[in-house]
Amino acid sequence: MSQTITIDPVTRLEGHGKITIQLNGQGEVEDAHFHVTQVRGFEKFSEGRPYYEMPGLMARICGICPVSHLIASARACEAIMSVRIPPTAALLRRMLNLAQMVQSHALSFFYLASPDLLLGMEFDPKLRNILGVVAAKPALGRAGVALRRFGQHIIELLGSKRVHPGWVVPGGVTEPLSTAKRDEILAMLPEAYANAALALSAYKQIADRFDAEIDVFANFPSNFMSLLNEDGSIEFTTGALRLIDAQGATIEDGITAARFAEVIGEAVEPYSYTKFAYYKPLGYPQGSYRVGPLARLNIVSSMGTPRAEKELAEFKQLASGPILSSFHYHHARLVEILYGVEKIEEILNDPGILDKHVRATAGVNRLEGAGQAEAPRGVLHHHYKVDENGKMLWANLVIATGQNNRAMNLGVLQAARHYVKDGKFTEGILNRVEAVVRAFDPCLSCSSHAFGQMPLAISLVSAHGKVVDRAVRG
Amino acid sequence: MIPSRTRCLILACGNTLRGDDGIGPWLAHWAKKRFSANPAVTIISRQQWTPELAEDIARAQAVLFVDSSAASEPGAIQLVPVAPAAGHPALATHHVDAPQLLALAHELYGSWPRAVFLLTTGAGATNLGEEFSEPVKRALPAACALLETTVRNLLTGNTPRP
Repeated sequence: MSQTITIDPVTRLEGHGKITIQLNGQGEVEDAHFHVTQVRGFEKFSEGRPYYEMPGLMARICGICPVSHLIASARACEAIMSVRIPPTAALLRRMLNLAQMVQSHALSFFYLASPDLLLGMEFDPKLRNILGVVAAKPALGRAGVALRRFGQHIIELLGSKRVHPGWVVPGGVTEPLSTAKRDEILAMLPEAYANAALALSAYKQIADRFDAEIDVFANFPSNFMSLLNEDGSIEFTTGALRLIDAQGATIEDGITAARFAEVIGEAVEPYSYTKFAYYKPLGYPQGSYRVGPLARLNIVSSMGTPRAEKELAEFKQLASGPILSSFHYHHARLVEILYGVEKIEEILNDPGILDKHVRATAGVNRLEGAGQAEAPRGVLHHHYKVDENGKMLWANLVIATGQNNRAMNLGVLQAARHYVKDGKFTEGILNRVEAVVRAFDPCLSCSSHAFGQMPLAISLVSAHGKVVDRAVRG
Repeated sequence: MIPSRTRCLILACGNTLRGDDGIGPWLAHWAKKRFSANPAVTIISRQQWTPELAEDIARAQAVLFVDSSAASEPGAIQLVPVAPAAGHPALATHHVDAPQLLALAHELYGSWPRAVFLLTTGAGATNLGEEFSEPVKRALPAACALLETTVRNLLTGNTPRP
């Protein structure tokens, strides 16, 4: 008799989802799916609104990465306006996006993943949380909290609010940076450097313990996509996309926001409200790809900042080509935190950073526009159509989690096949299957909008469709 | 242990777009005006309390949490002392409560505020909207008065009377 395991809800994620594992009559894993069980209605209810309201509206999709939505949305609006924003506004936006990346990666690594990594996958689940980490590794716990505060405080200084700042607008930003705020951020940098270094050092000390997980945590050949600059360096706010294959060869380069819809399609599967993005010329599912920190570090040839450059070189030693195990998303995230701190310092020392010209103005000059930016979890694409008066007629958002969706599902299947034997699972096994999804740090709220609690659940289902075991946590 | 800088920290929580849930931020706004000339009082208002606030708590000599309460009668005002959460309760990344924050502050920074209280006002309606229900509107003067008395007691070292 076959069975299905359900993990519902999956815990320590940004959003609400569940995992089902289908067993055959011999108790072997036949199939597994990661389901996102919420619906996002933002594209629909933005219809009829003035386009210039879109950044503020779209940022409400997420409380973790609202800045990426603000930037991608503002860039789509600027395509409609046909304007280039002032250089200082571009620098300030870049800093805001990096601050968000630092706080979001700190949240993912320290709050969500580190209980597994530092305490162990089999550790008592009642104590396997950030407080458990704090008790076992207080310095690391403080570093995590401090890095999150660092990013959030910069967002608050620039945008007046930690969550959903309204400072990024079509044409630039609403207010220039003051000397006092610049100096306050500069004063925070030494501690941020120390905390980023501490985290990287701690991770490298424990990474060897997870060879078994590295082997089966979504470890397979796939394509990867991310923004980068023309010189091959990492980019979060401008640049164009590059898609590479599992051997590192470029499939397509220079994918601008205007060309995104031409080459990227979205497939639908019956078990999830989140779509499955793919590269159209390869079709679905062959054209599926991964995005986010692992993809970025696989694609770029340079970080463009000295400390992160050294870490990138070390990271790339993990494999001779692209690094395929999604377990390494954790390591990539820490390298990006260090990059973020360095780049923020570089931006603050730019001689033009205090310039008062931070906003360009224009009306509707095109009836369609698209914008993209790297969110912490991967590239984010906004695409809008408006009428002559600037009223929104249509919107489409392609979110990082949708672009990682296929890889997350394959990863859950890979881990379930490895760990679930004879139709049985322990809490530690269940936690490993969840941890595969956690490695991607998906934002289910973004990919299909969440409302309320944010957990995930696992079910074990028989060949006759009967749920024979179920774990619900949240 | 980190140096204590704030003599009295008011930490409010609530969503101003959900009716009576906005009572915490409303009281924080009132307190900002009331204590604007007093540098000993620091006021932080958030939609949700998150773990990062532990450092602010660890730095404070006294803390007054201000929130709405779904468990109390609409408009009912309560002042209760707060004890840290026992053990290692699972923390949500989006929201933690006052006892959890207090425990986290101690775990992270080894520091306790001398006195910690929670002031709540019973929520009658938390539907979408920025207006308070009638019971909460009627309770506002008393809530303000209790907040002010409590802060003054915390500043002078007297134990507030729940």
